Amino acid sequence: MQDAITSLINTSDVQGRYLDDSGLERLTAYFHSGELRARSALSISANANTLVTQAVAKSLMYTDITAPGGNMYTCRRYAACIRDMDYFLRYATYAMLAGDVSILDERILNGLRETYNSLGVPISATIRAVQSLKEVTADLVGADAGKEMGRYFDHICAGLS
Amino acid sequence: MSIVTQSIAAADREARYLSLGELQAIKDFFATGQHRLQIAMILTEKESYIVDHASLRFWERCRVTPSNSGIPRFRASCMRDQAWYLRLVTYAIVADDVEPIRVIGTKGARTMYDSLGVPIQNVIECMRCLKEVSIDLLSIEDGQSVAPYFDYLIQGLQS
Repeated sequence: MQDAITSLINTSDVQGRYLDDSGLERLTAYFHSGELRARSALSISANANTLVTQAVAKSLMYTDITAPGGNMYTCRRYAACIRDMDYFLRYATYAMLAGDVSILDERILNGLRETYNSLGVPISATIRAVQSLKEVTADLVGADAGKEMGRYFDHICAGLS
Repeated sequence: MSIVTQSIAAADREARYLSLGELQAIKDFFATGQHRLQIAMILTEKESYIVDHASLRFWERCRVTPSNSGIPRFRASCMRDQAWYLRLVTYAIVADDVEPIRVIGTKGARTMYDSLGVPIQNVIECMRCLKEVSIDLLSIEDGQSVAPYFDYLIQGLQS
């Protein structure tokens, strides 16, 4: 697991270099955005359940997927879906704080597509739900933080497709 | 690992969001970040000055040591290693964590120097010189914040 700082250190070290100007610029930007990152993480964690509910209502609830025969039919499957959305939101928040996607790869995406395929979870519906999660999160935290969070939601979608 | 990654790892073990206290600590870390970058920049820019002066100081204190035996390759290696450790210290300053020093620099260092026939006590003395010359370039306050990283390095080489 890396953050913006350790990822820069690791790539510099492999080349035996000091942190160069472009790296330092990136870190400066990261440090300056710290207040925003911490504040959005706080409001996301306070509203996590609502965000997931809204995202599911927006993208899945009123589609065939919740009807008999759909992959969210039966409460057990519905609950599993909600739980996964919770995970996506929490890990996207971690990654936003870290300013780095590696935590998503390591803890969420590694093998997820294969797992979903073997469970018959439709990837396209999952991606749609994550995109809704991105939208409702942006509504909550505002444009700037929303854009940054969007980067990590998009990374999840890219990893799934 | 910076405090950011550490707090995330701790939160993830308990499947929770970061607490207010953790976020506050991260905010402080962000707020002091720019200043840490500046300190690292100073040391980076003055690398050759630091290494040159630390070497002279070291050879004054340890006259009998491979790098002072007149063999150019040993001399170059000694100076290269100083630059190498100085670089790790700048990483640690930026991350505000000793992990880069430990993982990259001190793990296995003793074994390596033993096998190369370099007396570890001399390496340590050399690092003390590196520390002194580096800190002399900084303000008293910045010197105080940087000293623990050199001390950690010196400790790590001893064990």
